[in-house]
Order: sequence, then C-alpha cells, then structure tokens
Amino acid sequence: MRSACSVRRLFLLLAACIGVAACATPPEPPSDLLAPSAEQAALREMQTRSFDVSDKNQAMRGVIAALQDLGFIIERANEPLGLVTAARFAEPRDQDVVGVTVTVRPQGEDKMVIRANAIYNNEPITDPKVYQNFFATLERSLFVGRN
Amino acid sequence: MARRRGAWLTGLTACLLAAGCGTTYMGRHGIRWNSREEIWLAEASQVKVREAQSRVFDTSDTQRTLEAVVATFQDLGFQIEVLDESLGIVSGKKFAGIEGAGQAGFGIDATYSLYDEESLVLFTRTYRTWGPFRHRSDLVRLTVIVRPRNAQQMIVRAAAQFYLQPVEAPEPYQDFFRTLERAMFAQQARN
Repeated sequence: MRSACSVRRLFLLLAACIGVAACATPPEPPSDLLAPSAEQAALREMQTRSFDVSDKNQAMRGVIAALQDLGFIIERANEPLGLVTAARFAEPRDQDVVGVTVTVRPQGEDKMVIRANAIYNNEPITDPKVYQNFFATLERSLFVGRN
Repeated sequence: MARRRGAWLTGLTACLLAAGCGTTYMGRHGIRWNSREEIWLAEASQVKVREAQSRVFDTSDTQRTLEAVVATFQDLGFQIEVLDESLGIVSGKKFAGIEGAGQAGFGIDATYSLYDEESLVLFTRTYRTWGPFRHRSDLVRLTVIVRPRNAQQMIVRAAAQFYLQPVEAPEPYQDFFRTLERAMFAQQARN
C-alpha cells in the first residue's frame, strides 16, 4: 500500500520534471526575421509619392495636418529626420489600431518625397487604396497650407 | 489492481498537464531564479555577436545614415518607437506573425479561444506595445545605433530581440544590412 503510494509520487515528480524541461525551450527565431517580404518593392512604390514642395517644414506640417484630418493622434515628430508617427483606433471596431509612419525627404531642390507605411494591428496594410486616400488628403492639406 | 490503474491514470494526467504547459507563453520561458545570471545570459561569444551586429559604412553623415536606417525600418515593416538623432538611436517593433492557435507548441492553446484572433484587445498603451495577452510570442524588437568610427566612416550596430531573447544568429543581421545598403543606394540615386 505504502509502496504503491510512493511509486505514484515518484511518477508525478518525474512527469513534472519532464514538463518543466520541455517548457524551458523557447523557439528559434525564424530565418527571415529581418528580411524584407517579397512584395516589398511593390509596397514601397505605392507608399511613396513626390510633391512639389521645397520647404521640408511646410511638408511636415502638411503631413501632420493630413493625419489630423484622418483622425490620427500624433505620437512623435522629428523635424531633422523628417519623421512623423501617429496612431488611431480603426473603424468599424474600435478595439483595432492603425499605426502610421511617415517620412519626408527632400529630392533635389524643389521636391519632397513622402513615404507612409501603415500597420493594422500587427499586419502591414498592403491595400493601395489606403495609401491613395492618405496622399489625396495630404495633397489637399498641402494645398490649403499654401493658400 | 484498481488502485494501480488509478495510479497510472493520475500519472498519465499529470504528464499530459505538464506537456500542456509548453503551449503557454510564460511556460516556454522557463523559470529564471537569479537575475544576476541574466546579465551573463548570452550564449554565443559576445565578440562574435557584436561583429555580426555591426557594419562599417564609408560615410561621415550621421543624419543621412539615420535616414537610411529609418527607411530600412519601413521596408522591414517595423514601427518606430524611439528616435534620437543626437544619440543616433532608432528602435522599433514588429510582429513576426508566427503566433496562432496550435502553432504555439504541442496541441492547441486553449487561451486562444478567449479572444478573436484578428482583434487586439486594448486597455492601455502599455498593453498595446505588448499585445493582448501574455503569450504574445511573435514580438520582434530592433534597436539600431549609428556612431562615427573616424572622420570618414560610421559604424551601424543592430540588435534584435525575439521571444524576449537576444537574436544571436548572424543571418538576420546580414538580411538587415543588405536592406540598409539598398536603402542607402536608393538615397544616393535620389539626390
């Protein structure tokens, strides 16, 4: 009777030991952890647009105004590097989040290259319409800022 | 005889339960008793890891190098969280997309049935950074430091973290620097 009980205890202990040993092995990082995806080149194309603005500050103000027009809250803005990040709760389910990173770079003397990339929860947005909508709003905002 | 069968059943159940803990996020991290040991946790040689993480570029322009790093973050789908151009630091995060019910370990992670997989439950900003539950295991963090090496060269060092562990394999960094080189090339072509 006593030996059956101690066998059971020993068995439980062994099972627990195996369990703990199995638990303590985190997975290896995937090989493509820091590699760009196959559709990256096409995505970059739709995320980038060039505008006839020579002043970087004005372009950045336009970007911030456009993001505000779209209901985003600005999280950080860095003028020397031309970077603006913003986020907002998505529609229709307001527990979802859209994050956007916008960069403004001068191209030559009189142009600015603006690139926006958006992330919905944890997936990058690959729908070109989203970017077209952003750039249309930005164009309007830059036009309003000029006049 | 019945008692012995009972003992076997108890043992089997305990074994299944123990194996099941492999599916939870906290479980797979193991127990870390001593925080001092964490400091010496790096498995590979520090010199080797540092070498894989660093690359020298023939430019003296910190600003342009940082711009290229930001473009690389955008190319790789990272969201920028920290940026300081005077210190030359860019940090960001992304989700590797490996997480899902049944992919976490053996069997199906029962906690996945508690929420809609496509949604992100939000409570505070801190929760958003980490994820809805504690088994958010696909978070990738990346910190890049840009500093001058001499009058003509810059050193770029990237350090990635996956699954709360430092990434020590050289391949992900090779991919990163390849993308960075492409971003620098595009930058030169633009001007």
